[in-house]
Amino acid sequence: MAIQVGDTIPNTVLTYAPYNPEHADVCSVPQPMNTHDAFKGKRVVLFAVPGAFTPTCSETHMPEYATRAAEIKAKNVDIVACVASNDPFVMDAWGKAHGVKDSVLMLSDANGEFGSAIGLVNDGTKMRMGPIRLARFAMIINDLKVEYLGVEPARGVTVSGAASVIAKL
Amino acid sequence: MTIKAGDEFPQVQLKYIPFNATNPDACLSPQVLDTKKDFAGKKVVVVGVPGAFTPTCSAQHLPAYVAKADEIKAKGIDLIVFTSSNDFFVLSAWGNSAGVEDKIIMAGDANGDLGRATGLSVDFSKFGLGSQRLTRFAVVIDDGKVEHLFTEPDPSDVTVTSADNILSVL
Repeated sequence: MAIQVGDTIPNTVLTYAPYNPEHADVCSVPQPMNTHDAFKGKRVVLFAVPGAFTPTCSETHMPEYATRAAEIKAKNVDIVACVASNDPFVMDAWGKAHGVKDSVLMLSDANGEFGSAIGLVNDGTKMRMGPIRLARFAMIINDLKVEYLGVEPARGVTVSGAASVIAKL
Repeated sequence: MTIKAGDEFPQVQLKYIPFNATNPDACLSPQVLDTKKDFAGKKVVVVGVPGAFTPTCSAQHLPAYVAKADEIKAKGIDLIVFTSSNDFFVLSAWGNSAGVEDKIIMAGDANGDLGRATGLSVDFSKFGLGSQRLTRFAVVIDDGKVEHLFTEPDPSDVTVTSADNILSVL
């Protein structure tokens, strides 16, 4: 039973490698991030992808958010974050590949805890992508409550894209 | 139950994206790498690493194998495979970033099949990598039989699993 608009997001631990401008090429040590601690009192745009470095995610979904992050934040959003079930090193490398620096927080839900808690995970075993992959979606979260949720119904990027989210801000 | 020298290397299906020599920017369709069928009659080096894009793996382990791939193959090795518990898209991107081209097959074990079949999975949760990750190992397989197996005592380091050490036993 998936999360809905009006619900409170679950309190789970995600990990990320903090952006370090002095060591742009080096990965910093992954840090845990508790969703409730990090997002309390803030307005967050969180978009989820099935996989870093995969075609749709890399060519369509991520670049839009990377280029429009500032525009999103100008509309009363404190954090723009991306989450996938890849580990934090992979998320960091993917963010670097798209030049996000600190404009998009690259979050890892490696054990699928967050995805499972909100009911938006798929089994990628048949494609040899592993048993837990997040669905493609975007959320606007306001002080931990879901304000907007766009879950992609099929392949491609529509309701989960930056343009759709900006229209709702 | 962990594999050891003298054992048959287990049969699992990994996945990889082949290098596209004609158009390196275009992705070819992912292929299955069957560790029994595709290794039959061949001499293969398989290197397992905890994670693509992680510091040790990226700075030390992979580059040395890229640099010494030709030397390794000159000693009778038909295939060099790098694998980790990441998916094949991630392995492909990692290989591209390290200039692997077609020297090394970058195969993903996202389903954890190889880890389970070899017993070479460890819990790397404290490093943020999850509880079922391949540890750092290097194995020389001759027509399906494990000839040499090296497992790094400290997976965050590269000693017995290095390209140089593998060269020394070939």
